[in-house]
Amino acid sequence: MKQTIRKTDILVLLGVFALAFLVMFGIQRISGRIDGVASMVFVLAVFLISIYTDGYFWGVMASLLSVLAVNFAFRSPYFAFNFTLPENLFSGLVMLVVSIMTSTLTTRIKMQEQLRMESETEKMRANLLRAVSHDLRTPLTSIYGACSTVIENYDSLDKEQKVKLLGEACSDAQWLNRMVENLLSVTRFDNDKVAVQKTPTVLEELIDTVLVRFQKRYPDVNVKLELPDSFIVIPMDSMLISQVLTNLLENAVLHAEGMTQLTLKVFTVGSHAVFEVTDNGCGIPKERLKKLFSGMLPAEDTADHGKHSMGIGLSVCAAIVKAHGGEIKAESRQGEGTTIRFWLETESIETEENQDEQ
Amino acid sequence: MSNNKFKVLVVEDEANICSFIYTLLETNGYQTFVAPSCELGQSMFGSCNPDLIILDLGLPDRDGVELIRYVRQKYLTPIIVLSARTTEADKIEALDLGANDYITKPFGTGELLARVRAALRTNRYSSNPTGTFRAQDLTINYERRKVFVGEEEIKLTQTEYNIVAFLSEHAGRVMTYPAIVKAIWGDTDCGSTKKLQVNMANIRRKLGSRPGKNTYILNELGVGYRMIDEDRDSHTEEDA
Repeated sequence: MKQTIRKTDILVLLGVFALAFLVMFGIQRISGRIDGVASMVFVLAVFLISIYTDGYFWGVMASLLSVLAVNFAFRSPYFAFNFTLPENLFSGLVMLVVSIMTSTLTTRIKMQEQLRMESETEKMRANLLRAVSHDLRTPLTSIYGACSTVIENYDSLDKEQKVKLLGEACSDAQWLNRMVENLLSVTRFDNDKVAVQKTPTVLEELIDTVLVRFQKRYPDVNVKLELPDSFIVIPMDSMLISQVLTNLLENAVLHAEGMTQLTLKVFTVGSHAVFEVTDNGCGIPKERLKKLFSGMLPAEDTADHGKHSMGIGLSVCAAIVKAHGGEIKAESRQGEGTTIRFWLETESIETEENQDEQ
Repeated sequence: MSNNKFKVLVVEDEANICSFIYTLLETNGYQTFVAPSCELGQSMFGSCNPDLIILDLGLPDRDGVELIRYVRQKYLTPIIVLSARTTEADKIEALDLGANDYITKPFGTGELLARVRAALRTNRYSSNPTGTFRAQDLTINYERRKVFVGEEEIKLTQTEYNIVAFLSEHAGRVMTYPAIVKAIWGDTDCGSTKKLQVNMANIRRKLGSRPGKNTYILNELGVGYRMIDEDRDSHTEEDA
């Protein structure tokens, strides 16, 4: 149980004792009699120390010190040790018991807290896994089905049917790939809690890459773009952040029913670069908004949404932004649309415009 | 051309991927050889003298990078790397060792063919850029050192012109930041990637490129830049 001695534990011990002595001297000033109060005050001190330190060591240490202190300073004969009085021995014993019991209790509470946290992450992971495997099975079924249909009925199907089936298999495979990209992004930094590898990335180039890719997938969707004119460099893992933006844009296309306008806006506030993806679609109900980024979908939703579940994509977004030290938030009004906004820290903006003449 | 087909060596261990690349290349008029390991790749490189190598990095016997090293000791045969690895570092390593291009799995067939065409073309014409370069609306006149978008002449600074010209000489291929910096400024010094990026921002503005639109120079984030190719379908993946 005894870990490496922590500085804070020593400080707690010294602090509480100093306080106890102060209180004692205060009482002595006021009432002049301290014999009865001394044990009480030091029992309290021992209790406090046991709560705020790790393990048994400090609590037991505190109780021993307290016994000595009380015996030495606050019991007649003052400023001399006297272990013959049964009263003194008894109060010492009480303090020892208090400290041990408190330490046991706090240690147990801490352990339970940790267990609870672990089981929560475990639960989240299980939820994510369940959602993912469900989501993976759908396109796999259709790919498998389409391919085996073509192989088994090659001669009886006409060309158009074959092209249609294979086309579906193709687009499902692409969807599957996007899913795997998402999962890979998570493992890229979730592995052993290593912080993301940030390289300075030019905002304009990031947005260009995202939009080129996005327009390949959804050529019919027009994204309205609002960017600052200045040359902005943001330290980031560009692959992960472009994944976030792609997910957000894609979610709007797939889920914001009735959307006529999709806007991607970036602006700077102080040292923050704020990214906003806004649609004017159907909006997200309040009760879903709260759990949007947690990867947990209300039970009734997972069943029938099939490939359109957006829980994973958004929880991946949240994890990525968080790993970059940023924040992500969603705003939505039913019937009016949704805005998802996140910020990242920018590099201090330098004006290097005058560098281009040689 | 039909009696004098380009020869392509595919070094890849996954039988299914081999099979579809083989079919794709054969039906598009390339003579294709397949090697399932680094070892075999090396010996087949010697025996069939290919015009192009398509190389998977994750091979069973050795890292594909070894094959790049082996080939580059003596030959300039273009190499396209197929990679399931998605980190920039791996791509940069392969490019630094002398690979001409990379393509990340999974890829569209159109994309692969475009890269193959680009790699074979640059191998033939790369040495002396003369005449003009054309890609979509972009025209570069190398003799007069002038750049046009449509009919309009674009005023570029010396440095900016040099960058555009350099990228166009290697159109369709990704050029890493250090490679461009070295070609333009002669040496790689600290912070010059930033200098390049600032210049690129100016070039984009002058060419009238808006993010996602009129992109003549494609970004390979964290790796480098790629000028679009002469043929129009070069950068359209077969994404639905």
